[in-house]
Amino acid sequence: MSDPASNEPAAPRLRPVVRAMIWATVPVLLLVQLLASAGVEASSFWSQVKQLDARMARVAESRAELIAEPLWKMRYDQVTGVLNEIMHDETIAAAAVYDDTGAVIARVVARSESPSIAEVSRPIHYSNGNISVQAGRIAIAYSHAALYADAGSRLVLLLVVGLLATFATLIAMRISANIFIGRPLAVMMSAIQRSKQDGRAYPADVTSSNEFGQLARAFNAMQHTTSGALDRLGHMAAHDPLTGLPNRRSLTERLAVASRDGGRSDALVAFCFIDLDDFKGINDTFGHEAGDQFLIQISQRLRRAVEAEDWVARLGGDEFVVIRPEVSNEEAAHAFAQQVLEAISEPIRLHDKQVVPRASIGLAVRRADDPELSHLPTLADIALYHAKSKAPGTVAVLDEALQREYRRRRDLELAIPAGFADGQFEVWYQSQVDLESQEVVGLEALIRWRHPDHGVIGPAEFLPLIERSGNNARLTRYVLTNACWALQRLAAAGSPQIRIAINLPPSELADHSLAAELGATCARFDVPASLLELEITEGSLINNIASASETLHRLRRLGATIALDDFGTGYSSLAHLRRFPLDKVKIDKAFISEIPHSAEDKAIVGVIASLAGTLGLTLVAEGIERAEQAEAMREMGVMFGQGYFYQRPQPLDAVLQWLESRPVAGRRVLTDSPSIAPEFA
Amino acid sequence: MTGFWRILLVAGTACGLVASAGHGFAKPLDVVFVSPGKTGEVFWDMVAQSMQAAGRKLDMRVEVLTSERNYRTMQELGFGVVARADKPDFLILSNEESAAVPILEAAEAAGVKTLLLSNTLIGEDAKRLGPPRQKLKTWLGDITTDLQTAGARMASALITAARAEKWQSPDGKIHLLGIGGDEITPASIARNAGLKLAVDAAPDVVVDRLLFANWTQSEAEQVTANYLGWASRKQIRPAGIWAGNDPMALGALRAVVAAGLVPGRDIQLVGLNWSEEALREIRAGRLLLTDGGHFLLGGWSIVLLRDYADGCDFAAVSPRVEVKTSAITRQNLGSVGDLVKTRAFDRIDFTKFRAKPGRCGHYDFSLDALISALPLPEGAAD
Repeated sequence: MSDPASNEPAAPRLRPVVRAMIWATVPVLLLVQLLASAGVEASSFWSQVKQLDARMARVAESRAELIAEPLWKMRYDQVTGVLNEIMHDETIAAAAVYDDTGAVIARVVARSESPSIAEVSRPIHYSNGNISVQAGRIAIAYSHAALYADAGSRLVLLLVVGLLATFATLIAMRISANIFIGRPLAVMMSAIQRSKQDGRAYPADVTSSNEFGQLARAFNAMQHTTSGALDRLGHMAAHDPLTGLPNRRSLTERLAVASRDGGRSDALVAFCFIDLDDFKGINDTFGHEAGDQFLIQISQRLRRAVEAEDWVARLGGDEFVVIRPEVSNEEAAHAFAQQVLEAISEPIRLHDKQVVPRASIGLAVRRADDPELSHLPTLADIALYHAKSKAPGTVAVLDEALQREYRRRRDLELAIPAGFADGQFEVWYQSQVDLESQEVVGLEALIRWRHPDHGVIGPAEFLPLIERSGNNARLTRYVLTNACWALQRLAAAGSPQIRIAINLPPSELADHSLAAELGATCARFDVPASLLELEITEGSLINNIASASETLHRLRRLGATIALDDFGTGYSSLAHLRRFPLDKVKIDKAFISEIPHSAEDKAIVGVIASLAGTLGLTLVAEGIERAEQAEAMREMGVMFGQGYFYQRPQPLDAVLQWLESRPVAGRRVLTDSPSIAPEFA
Repeated sequence: MTGFWRILLVAGTACGLVASAGHGFAKPLDVVFVSPGKTGEVFWDMVAQSMQAAGRKLDMRVEVLTSERNYRTMQELGFGVVARADKPDFLILSNEESAAVPILEAAEAAGVKTLLLSNTLIGEDAKRLGPPRQKLKTWLGDITTDLQTAGARMASALITAARAEKWQSPDGKIHLLGIGGDEITPASIARNAGLKLAVDAAPDVVVDRLLFANWTQSEAEQVTANYLGWASRKQIRPAGIWAGNDPMALGALRAVVAAGLVPGRDIQLVGLNWSEEALREIRAGRLLLTDGGHFLLGGWSIVLLRDYADGCDFAAVSPRVEVKTSAITRQNLGSVGDLVKTRAFDRIDFTKFRAKPGRCGHYDFSLDALISALPLPEGAAD
């Protein structure tokens, strides 16, 4: 299992093509050669046998002619002499001459007796001027043994030659196959192996002009194509297709390079994390195509704004990064970031409209040999976060305070699950007072986090963290449950008329189960839903109008009332007031704080009050801290007030105590409460 | 050798003078004979001896030169004779191997008269030079033996004997064996032709084979033995053996004896040459006859030249004289057998053979004539 090769599907055992070719051809070759040799030899043998037979017949005939006269004339010694002459022929085993009576006249036998298997016999004719007679007969016995021996030795020779030829062919095939097949294949195999190892496409160095040369050229062309594709793929993997800038992936490598290649050890690396402000608005306004054009123009500006040694990347969406590998000090880095920001901020024409891009930059500077150089993106992101949240359109430099803030934020985010588990989240309540009667008519439930290390933390700090960590619903359910429980306590304490308002985060408005759960929770605590008021912001309505409207209607059907929070700071849309099923509008404290001195604020509040009156909406003024403010509100027709002037937010027990200690209506009681930041919610 | 011939010459001359003086010849004559044979060769010795014996009777000095069977020697000898200042009256040559033709032409040029003995012109030479006394005026003619008749006579003797003894084979025929000397020389061809002639005339006779034995006894014995074996395998009863000369007849005789046959009783044999051994076998009854006597051509040629020189030209009948041979049998063996054995040719009265006046060219050289020319031996008259 440790062998990586064993993970591949088991390849069939390699059977070299050369060996297969040899196995396929050599036995056939050998067989054909042997058969051909044997055939040729056999035909040669039979032809020689025939030739020998014919020669023997000729010998017999010629001897018969020579012998005729001495035989007829009975010169038997001459007959023997003539017969003896033919015994020089080694194939002749014996010869005999018979006269016309059949008697043997002469007989000669070869010295070395060999088995004779053939015999030729010819008549001996004698003729002269007067007579023509058959004087006798000649018979020659001869042997084919010499032919057999010759044929045998030739066959052996042919066999040996055939074997040698086959062997030579085999060697030649092996060598030529290695040269013409094996080598090109090996070269291509090697190129493929290297390509597999490196992920790059290597060409095969085959120069021959045969089919393998063609195959290699085709292979190389394919490798070239693959190489281009791989290069493009590599480029695509490391670059943003829209702007052509390096992407997030490249960033890590670039930082590694900066860390490795950083010039002087005391040189500083400036890392600018750029985020375009309201890019979404541009997309929404001009369309995505224009948004892309916008991004392309921004990238071009970034490129132009930096030096050759600087590095620009797009991390995605509207996020860019610019790295300057060598800056002398933090001021220079800041100036560089400012210069980049100015370059971005030149107006751009989109659809014949001038658009002024805005961006925030988080700047982080570290020494090139800093072991935490790879954390630069995170650090710059912290600064960017700060800039975006605190001063959009500026350069925020990462400093100790920012880092501390970041660390605190991160600590809190990590501590959320423990906060829920340990019951560290507390619901405090702040009273809403009838400005006319000074009666407490309701309480707004406000969440607090009693952190074991950081103490009580206000919602402005941790609610974004809750939302980011996806715990909005949980927190809302927690507050709802707490509020129902508080209603039960209030009823028990003799104040059953007091209602409780809960802040609903935007995400909850999209949750269709909210109304059902609210009903169920009220039923569980046996409190009427009509005692609950749900506060929403304009922003949460904007994003999902239909869904929000549906949820609000359901809640209202249960009896709950709906209040629009922080009115005046956001869209302050009159349409919203008309379209949604609202019962209350809460005027943001920003309009309250300068009253009664600010005539403008008074005018605004007056307009809002008049509008609410027209639409039948109840008005609540937030952040009332002084009596004249309460008075001014009451005069302008605002029905309810809420603020430190009446009561700081307190845990339920303190509120219950406060309510009990408030025997007379209209008496202002200031209770001790933890000094926290003014209300936003 | 030369010494011996000188003695002969002197002796011959002396005799001639005596004879000439005795019979009244026109004049003594000089004759040179260039013999083709070897010294000691029976036939040619006997030819020369009979020639010289006749010369002594007819007042003719006969000088014999021997070629030793070398035709170059023969030509040198002939040219030498022709070139002599004291030329002979006649030059006798034998055209063996056609070697005599240049000598004939040289003699023509020198005016020396020539006579060819035993072998005359043949083939191209005969055509080119024509008959005697035409192109070559000095070539008087030739004297030869009728060997074909001899062959036929021998065969006839065999056939007669076989018929008398009823030696027919199972096929009813009389089977003979012929043994020839060779197949090319005129002397052999003529004899063989005689055999064929006689057998062709006898339908009850067949010559199984005509075998050739190179004139020699041993080869004849061999082929005869082969024949006898063959004949016995063929169930042929051999009735007679015809041999072209005596040595071959004697060889055949030995083979016959070896085959277990009794010559003269089971089979008859004939030969030719009048040889001493043949005569012995005739006397013993093992040989039927031997034909021949042609060595006497030497004596007869002297007779012709004497008559020619004395004005009785043999060309009156023909320039070409053919002498019949004769057979010696047990019947006539007594008269000539001794003559042959002793070569006592001086006993022959050659003057008796000369042409009678007015009958030039008419000669009787028969055995009977010969016998009558011999003095009667004591006890042989009956």
